[in-house]
Amino acid sequence: MTTEPTAVIHDIGYRHYDGVRLGRGRATLALGVQSLRGVFGLGRTARAKIMPLLLAAIMLMPTVVSIGVMALAKQFIMPYPNYAVFMQPVIAVFLAAQSPYLVAPDLRFRVLPLYLSRPLTVTDYVLAKLSALAVALFGLLAVPLTIQFVGELLVDLPGPPHTADYLGALGGAVLHAVLLSSVGIALASFTPRRGLGVAVVIAFYMFTAAVSGIFTGVLISSGRDDLAGWALLLNPFFLVDYAQSAMFGTAPVNTESAPPGIASCLILLAVIAVAVTGVLLRYRKAAS
Amino acid sequence: MTASATPCFATEGLTKRFPRVTALDDLTVAAGTGVTGLVGANGAGKSTLIKILLGLLPPTSGRASVLGYDTATQGLEIRRAVGYMPEHDCLPPDMSATEFVVHMAQMSGLPRTAARERAADTLRHVGLDEERYRPMGGYSTGMRQRVKLAQALVHDPKLVFLDEPTNGLDPQGRDEMLALIRRIGTEFGISVLVTSHLLGELERVCDHVIVIDGGRLLRSSAIREFTRAEQTIAVEVEEGRQRLAERLTAGGETVVTQGRLLTVQVAADDPGRTYDAVRDAVCDLGLSLLRLEQRRGRIEDVFKEPVA
Repeated sequence: MTTEPTAVIHDIGYRHYDGVRLGRGRATLALGVQSLRGVFGLGRTARAKIMPLLLAAIMLMPTVVSIGVMALAKQFIMPYPNYAVFMQPVIAVFLAAQSPYLVAPDLRFRVLPLYLSRPLTVTDYVLAKLSALAVALFGLLAVPLTIQFVGELLVDLPGPPHTADYLGALGGAVLHAVLLSSVGIALASFTPRRGLGVAVVIAFYMFTAAVSGIFTGVLISSGRDDLAGWALLLNPFFLVDYAQSAMFGTAPVNTESAPPGIASCLILLAVIAVAVTGVLLRYRKAAS
Repeated sequence: MTASATPCFATEGLTKRFPRVTALDDLTVAAGTGVTGLVGANGAGKSTLIKILLGLLPPTSGRASVLGYDTATQGLEIRRAVGYMPEHDCLPPDMSATEFVVHMAQMSGLPRTAARERAADTLRHVGLDEERYRPMGGYSTGMRQRVKLAQALVHDPKLVFLDEPTNGLDPQGRDEMLALIRRIGTEFGISVLVTSHLLGELERVCDHVIVIDGGRLLRSSAIREFTRAEQTIAVEVEEGRQRLAERLTAGGETVVTQGRLLTVQVAADDPGRTYDAVRDAVCDLGLSLLRLEQRRGRIEDVFKEPVA
């Protein structure tokens, strides 16, 4: 049985807003948080969630295996500092799949002018997008490392826990996050097409990894082991691995003829600087 | 129109040259509160002017201010206080209108809860109902224009720049959009700068009209001045058009023969006199009157007149 509605909607006309207006910093933070959620598909369609969550799950698999081995066989099999290098294809796919999402739609659907007609500046926008991706990548690395470390403490293997290695690996995760996010955004922001962006980022990874591998092989077989370490630096993951070793004292994955630690740190900084400058210049141009 | 102490925007000798084209050429113009129309053909420099007023594009020379802020140095303050609806499409298709407008409100510095409330209010005011929860990819042009307008209003600006808001709309959508713009200027109390290449449209909603052509100012005046100066009556008689014209001219009226019609300029100081003169002349000469109608001048006539 239906009854007469008792509630009535009145048109109360236009109301002005006289509440708080937050500054640029908070708007940038809001953009960063929204972008970070979007990287993992939160607040997006179900289809957009599949890829990032699948990759995040794959990242956890070695951790699960490692804890299992620690618990059952009482053996420590996966050193923390090597985890990122070991998982590099997965991280590269994540970077390629998600960095275009952050920048391409705003260019393609011309949302950028709306951001820039607000108190946000080009630098704020770029900062928010870079931070969102960097935090996502850091989480992708730090969460499995932390779970494994907690597992190690709970299993209580004979001998002291690998605390220094764990902390060094977290430091390395920060380096990975900053380097990969700036390179990923720099490559992805040059095209408004998301598919093309994905292809460009993954091609960049495959190209650097292949070239680095070929050069290293050739140099080692021709007896120039002293130069092989430099060739490895072409691969962004080995570059960070060497820088991590220099900064946090962890053992690098490739022990043969490592280049001077300071060099890998400087190259790392230079690559980040070039990538970020490229993004800023690209957006300055897009804004005008 | 009431002139306020600080004009909504003012420019002084504003010039913008691009490598190949001069978009604005020594433009000096000002507008007060209310609805101001910016009219010009495509490429007349309307969008360039808006970008300069938003503080996003530096002028080659000259100065501009918006709400008392200098565009060259206080762009952030300007962008905090104004809203902007671009001419082009700017909606990501996989977001819903609600999500998008909430997000844009946050980008203007509103806290999340306030952003949600304002977004719901604003979307209701622009006339978007249940469909606001659907992804915008499936929206019609009319709905898209409404969302674009909502994102420009969501942070309750003091002034909005609407760049070609009626573009691509059908006649009914156009009427609704114009009515909405009129409401924004009056009921909402938000000043509006609206551009269009169609003069007749702006005539209906604006208090003040600025006409630019090739980056130069053609005319800037209150809408009443446009129409008052043009107030005429059209008279059509069966025969004796020539005699009527002579009689009226002798009586001191300004008469122009336009084909079968006589156009009589209404005396600005005493409108009744002109109407009486026409009536008396027709009666005295014993003519058969076919048509006697008031003609409101249209803004289009600005382009026909020699530039003052």
